[in-house]
Amino acid sequence: MRVMAPTLAEFILDRAHSAVVSMDEQGVVTAWNPSAEVTFGLSRDEALGRPVAELIIPEDLRDAHREGLRRFLATGESRLLDRRLKMRALRADGTELPVEFTISALEGDGHWSFHAFIRDVSERADADRERERLVDELNRALRGSERRFEAIVGSLSDAITIRDHEHRFLYANPPAVAHLGFASWEELRDTAPDTIMSDFLVWDENGGEIRMQDIPSVRILRGEEAEPLLIRTVHRETGVQRWNLLKAAPLLGEDGEVEATITIIEDVTDQKRAEQRGAFLAEASEVLASSLDYEQTLRNVAQLAVPEVADWCAVDLVDDDGDRIKVAVAHIDPERLSLAEELRAYEPERLDPDQGLGFVFRTGQSLLYPEIPEPMLVAAAVDERHMELIRAVGLHSGLVVPMRLGARILGALTLVTSESHRTLDQFDVQLAEQVAARAAVAIENSRLYSQRSSIARTLQQSLLPDQLPEVPGFELASVYLPAMEGSMVGGDFYDVWALGGSWMVIIGDVTGKGVEAAALTSLVRHTMRSASEFLSSPAELLAHVDSTLKNRPTLSVCTALCLRLDGDRATLAIGGHPLPLYVTGQEVTKVGEHGPLLGAFTEAAWEDTTVELEAGSTLVAYTDGITDAVDEERGRFGLERLRDALRGAAGRPAADVAGALTRALAAFQTGAHADDTAAIVIHRPDPVGAPVSQGHDNRLAGVRRGQTD
Amino acid sequence: MVRPTEFKIAHRATEASVTLTITGELDLSTGPVLSESIELLRRDMKALTLDLSELSFMDSTGLRLLIELDQRAKREEWKLVLVRPQYETAAAVLTATGADAALPFEDAAP
Repeated sequence: MRVMAPTLAEFILDRAHSAVVSMDEQGVVTAWNPSAEVTFGLSRDEALGRPVAELIIPEDLRDAHREGLRRFLATGESRLLDRRLKMRALRADGTELPVEFTISALEGDGHWSFHAFIRDVSERADADRERERLVDELNRALRGSERRFEAIVGSLSDAITIRDHEHRFLYANPPAVAHLGFASWEELRDTAPDTIMSDFLVWDENGGEIRMQDIPSVRILRGEEAEPLLIRTVHRETGVQRWNLLKAAPLLGEDGEVEATITIIEDVTDQKRAEQRGAFLAEASEVLASSLDYEQTLRNVAQLAVPEVADWCAVDLVDDDGDRIKVAVAHIDPERLSLAEELRAYEPERLDPDQGLGFVFRTGQSLLYPEIPEPMLVAAAVDERHMELIRAVGLHSGLVVPMRLGARILGALTLVTSESHRTLDQFDVQLAEQVAARAAVAIENSRLYSQRSSIARTLQQSLLPDQLPEVPGFELASVYLPAMEGSMVGGDFYDVWALGGSWMVIIGDVTGKGVEAAALTSLVRHTMRSASEFLSSPAELLAHVDSTLKNRPTLSVCTALCLRLDGDRATLAIGGHPLPLYVTGQEVTKVGEHGPLLGAFTEAAWEDTTVELEAGSTLVAYTDGITDAVDEERGRFGLERLRDALRGAAGRPAADVAGALTRALAAFQTGAHADDTAAIVIHRPDPVGAPVSQGHDNRLAGVRRGQTD
Repeated sequence: MVRPTEFKIAHRATEASVTLTITGELDLSTGPVLSESIELLRRDMKALTLDLSELSFMDSTGLRLLIELDQRAKREEWKLVLVRPQYETAAAVLTATGADAALPFEDAAP
């Protein structure tokens, strides 16, 4: 040995955990420390001076040992020196033990000495053997029903792992290996469980952090019951997000102790995402339908995608030149919204038609950037502040999808992930495309809306007579209060026309929206007017309108009151409309019979009612806009208030009655009318001046079909 | 008796059918909410019961919705059952329009 303070050398050797055995060029033991005594069961005195080969090298390895020593001394070559090796060693009692050792050679005084540091690894080897046994057993157990196991495990896309009580992997099928982010089983096996876990960000369903001790298999090892656990993982490096259902069960040894755990990792990402997508799209439809306000709709679109799809979302519309109009931006973190907005201010209005937004506007195709490369950002930066902003917002992954309506492209949604570190994929593109499709419809609707609603309103009102004709012997007045701007509710209508010696009065309410409702109103009035040329009974007229409406491809319903004035007599039929009120003196009574709504029901019939109109009496036909009018406390105007108003104006000229009605409504109602409100007041002044024509009996009208209007 | 004004839809589903209990006022502002709810349930629906007993008000748009639903149920061959409103303000519309006879109302409560 080289010069070394004997006390220090002895000190170290005596306390070394490893067995230290030294030998000379002849292979004779020159040093033997206390650990060597324990490991090999031989005292220092017994060992010193004897050949190493006879003491600790199993017989079958001795020749190789001698040959190695000879070759080294002759050539200086060795395959063993300074390497960590595993081998069997021999104990004094003749048994063998597994050892790990390193040998170093030292030269001094022209002679070589060799020093072996040897560790008894039989304990570890026991564990290894135990593992092997377990794996064998598992394999046997699994292969016991060999074909079945192969069929099951082989075709399972679910990842399956088996881990021992120290949580090391004993088995992992190929999906499990891939799932955990490893290239091979060997690589996985040799990696510490903690390291694997730290590759992922892991949350439970509610966003709570999941640690190693929460994993079902670890809980089972602690002797706890472990329910299946749904976790969401994001790989720190790749940003790939997955949803997994972990189901673990114990594998018990013969003694009933938990020897290992088996975990099935079910990848429920697609299900979970489909589930989320369904819920999300339902919500999206609702949110987008909730406003017809153009600006609000655009803001809603931007808000929608955050944080469901991405961390921030920008909405751009395209102008006629293919350039962008920046309209809205939303960010997951309100504090960073200003950053995103400032960043947006840097983006040019003019676009390169071959990339990014310009490309999407031009081609209508979506773009996906799973990772936004740094050079792309640097190239895009206009100045230092811009670059600073880009870095501060932290662009990780992005996509651009068109908002299209048929072949027309209205704009695009740009979605970017930053803080969530999530990598967007094709699934996100599909989801974004669906959001964009809905957004396009909502944007177009709200854009057309203001325009269309005013058209509808104008159309509706133009369908009403400018002024009511003079009807001999009667005073007529009307009330018409259009619904508030933007309610898009269908219209009330009324009309009065002469028919030979008598007069027709109609009032009704079309339920529908906008232009469609206006068109329906026009149809109903036109049908009534033309049919009245050959049908004299109001009930028959309603039946005719009913069949006309039923022949339309879409549900077209309306309420109507049809009344014919002949002298002092009124004949009327009612289809789903409020009964008119007849006012004599202070008495206000309903007249007529309820009949079904027009255009609604297959079996339907109407009845004519004849009413004598006394001198000084008033008949008021109205739409439900009056009785349904709402006050601050959501109380309704109702029939009683209407009766009161009419009583107050009893016997007065028609125009006064209409005025009283309007005032009573105005006093009651707080805001604008939610619905159209209309009324026709027919007053028969005293004395009577009109001739009296023949009366009509009440009779049931049949539904007449096949007549054209 | 205080009439409920706040619009609510309670949802109860069994394997065989879906029951929606509607409370409050069914009109042009709440009608779309009901339509949307039905739209969401529609996929697997074999039978739908609309319980209108707690309905305090219904206007023509609400009625139109019921008619559309009835026509669709017939076309798509699923079963629609309506439970009559107990409040006169809602029931009156059904009577006045002939809907009480024409729509599939459940007869007297069991």
